[in-house]
Amino acid sequence: MRRGGTGLFAKEGNFALLMVSPGLLVLLLTTTFPLLFLLWSSFNNINLAMPFLDGFAGLDNYAQMMGDSRFWHSLRLTGIYTISSVALQLVIGLGLALLVMQIPAGQWLFRIAAILPIVLAPVVVGLFWRTLMLAPEFGILDFIFRAVGLGQVNWLGSPTPALISVIMIHTWQWTPFAFLVLLASLAALPPEVFEAAKIDRANAVQRFIHITLPLIRPAVIIVVIMRSMIALSAFAAIFAATGGGPGTASEILNLYAYKTSFIELNFGYGSALAVALLIITLCVSGVLFHLRTARRG
Amino acid sequence: MTNRKDQETGGHAAPRVTRRTALKAAVSGAALLAAPGIFASRAHADGEFMELATMREAKIDWRQAAGATITVGVIPAGYFQNLDTVLPDFKELTGIDVRLEMTPPGQIRQKAVLDLSSKTGTWATHAADPMFYDLYVINGWVEPLDKYLSNASLTDNDWFQYEDILAGWRGATSVDGIPYGIPYDGEATIQVYRKDVFDRLGLKAAETFDEFSSNAAAAHDPDNRLWGTALRGFRGAGQNMYIYPSIFKAFGGQWFDDSGKVVVNSPEAVAALQWYVSLLNNYAPPGVENWNWPDIADAFGQGTVASYIDAHGSAAVITNPEKSKVIGKIGFARWPKGPSGKRVTSIWNWSFPINAALSEKDKVATWLFIQWAASKETQVATSYAFPGAYKRTGANRTSVWELDEYRDVLGAAGDNFIAAATTSFAEDTDVEWRPRLPQWPAVGDTMATAIQASLVGQASVVDALNEAQRKIDSILKG
Repeated sequence: MRRGGTGLFAKEGNFALLMVSPGLLVLLLTTTFPLLFLLWSSFNNINLAMPFLDGFAGLDNYAQMMGDSRFWHSLRLTGIYTISSVALQLVIGLGLALLVMQIPAGQWLFRIAAILPIVLAPVVVGLFWRTLMLAPEFGILDFIFRAVGLGQVNWLGSPTPALISVIMIHTWQWTPFAFLVLLASLAALPPEVFEAAKIDRANAVQRFIHITLPLIRPAVIIVVIMRSMIALSAFAAIFAATGGGPGTASEILNLYAYKTSFIELNFGYGSALAVALLIITLCVSGVLFHLRTARRG
Repeated sequence: MTNRKDQETGGHAAPRVTRRTALKAAVSGAALLAAPGIFASRAHADGEFMELATMREAKIDWRQAAGATITVGVIPAGYFQNLDTVLPDFKELTGIDVRLEMTPPGQIRQKAVLDLSSKTGTWATHAADPMFYDLYVINGWVEPLDKYLSNASLTDNDWFQYEDILAGWRGATSVDGIPYGIPYDGEATIQVYRKDVFDRLGLKAAETFDEFSSNAAAAHDPDNRLWGTALRGFRGAGQNMYIYPSIFKAFGGQWFDDSGKVVVNSPEAVAALQWYVSLLNNYAPPGVENWNWPDIADAFGQGTVASYIDAHGSAAVITNPEKSKVIGKIGFARWPKGPSGKRVTSIWNWSFPINAALSEKDKVATWLFIQWAASKETQVATSYAFPGAYKRTGANRTSVWELDEYRDVLGAAGDNFIAAATTSFAEDTDVEWRPRLPQWPAVGDTMATAIQASLVGQASVVDALNEAQRKIDSILKG
């Protein structure tokens, strides 16, 4: 903090520190401390059903994880869930943004419509899909499927459709985010470049691949980073729609960690699972951030 | 897991005004209007819902903890709402303030565990799941109640009559023979069927599991929106793991082998799960894998399900004129016999333990509350004698089940209702209905996952149970 060495700067620095300290303290207490506590828990046996085993466990919880087929299953589901929902959000969001860009007037209407799903609480979204859209017999989606002759799909009651459903729900809620970011980015592109390309007789596909995509690349990567981080730690909508079921068909890592801690009351192992998820999220976003900066220059 | 209700049933029975209830309603209405002194000479002067004079026959000092204030965690169900309504009588009798805090059934276990493990003593007592007592006891979170029952200054057992409480429920709330909770309300699982459909097809209530399947097959007519049967399919220790244990036991299954190890993949377990899976896959409505008891009762009330097996309390839904289209067409029977010749009903009940983190005075106040709530007089005041529309149907005492007034109210549900319920209580209970262990929350959830996974075909019955066995072995190893 101390710069220059004059009294004024020193005083100002101290004063500034004093001013931010309440905020820092709150931040430490509400984020850093729980995180350290989580790490500490993950190296301990903390199981309410077996209090006599409580104590330091070293890496036992992590070793147990390596041999836990349900952990690997949930990890695989987390991968499928994240990759497919982010890819879908990006493709659909970009497609919609490109379409809306063609509309000369009234784009604001789409912007407002797009905000609606984003502002809903995920648990509301999960319940709304569960009851109104996907319920057998009475659900809107089920009705449409039967009406067009695709037959009845037991959306939340069969393993694969349940996984597809939770991916669909997440995509439905968050595609508008990608749409809005990409629309703003598209709107900011300089029209001259496209005019020049047209004069050079580049067709629409060529213009999109060689001009539009490279220009909006930073926005695309930001969307991928933010959406991946959120998708990796998704919880409420899945919890409300399927609870991770049927069986374990939509039980991503976050839900498994929750269940281990709060249903099975094994807080040590649950913490280890949560730490594993944290490490994965950090790694994935680290790689993505690296991608973003690496090719910029 | 979700916003759905848990295993307990708490619907509203049809309004049924008897002379006595009308009189009581009038008395309590008048008492509200009139100055308290006017009715001073009447029997109900000091208690609006029950005879406090009967309470005072107990040879204990009801006022020994006067001035205490306790909070009790319960679920928002009719049977606790009735208790809430009559609470002023308890205050009148003891001078203790009780506040009932309603928490949805899906969250009450977690909240109770949080409170007990942090030793904050927020809930002096709560509506406890009997399967959680082993967990409570191993952590020393709740008081052993034998010392309260045997202490003459706290309990007059000639008056309270602990042994009058249904034996299966007392067993379910005790650990190694020591009571840790006192049952307040509970239920038996019974067979419910559409009399009109069964009569038309020449069917009878099932006596065996084979007959139950063949009845379901005969009544199954999905083209005309009538499905053969439904059982709980939703995953949860209190949902599908509420119905499966009865089937497992009826197939002759045992949760523990000779060496005391938990075994969930025995041949009997496989046969039981296969029976459940094929029954539901063949004859249950689509979506049954996510159904809990309210969904089953609603469907039956709408006339789309021909038979089910669930809590006797679900009769409140299917006999509710606002919801049900099948009133007067309902028959009841006990569980059918399994291949082992056994019928095994649930012994589900909500009971009250004493939080060990309380001060001595609050423990006494809590015990007085529990004794009062579980007493015959309060059970009567909240069941058939309750002035409101909903009368409790899960009374905790044999003597209440024998009262004509109680049987009159219950008998209105339909054919054979009381006989089915009382015989189940007397003959079909099994304290080892579910595996009683401190690790039950984990074991129960693991089993629930396996049952649902095989029901929806995520895994075969054998694979799902083997996987559950592996997981349970690792849970119990720690």
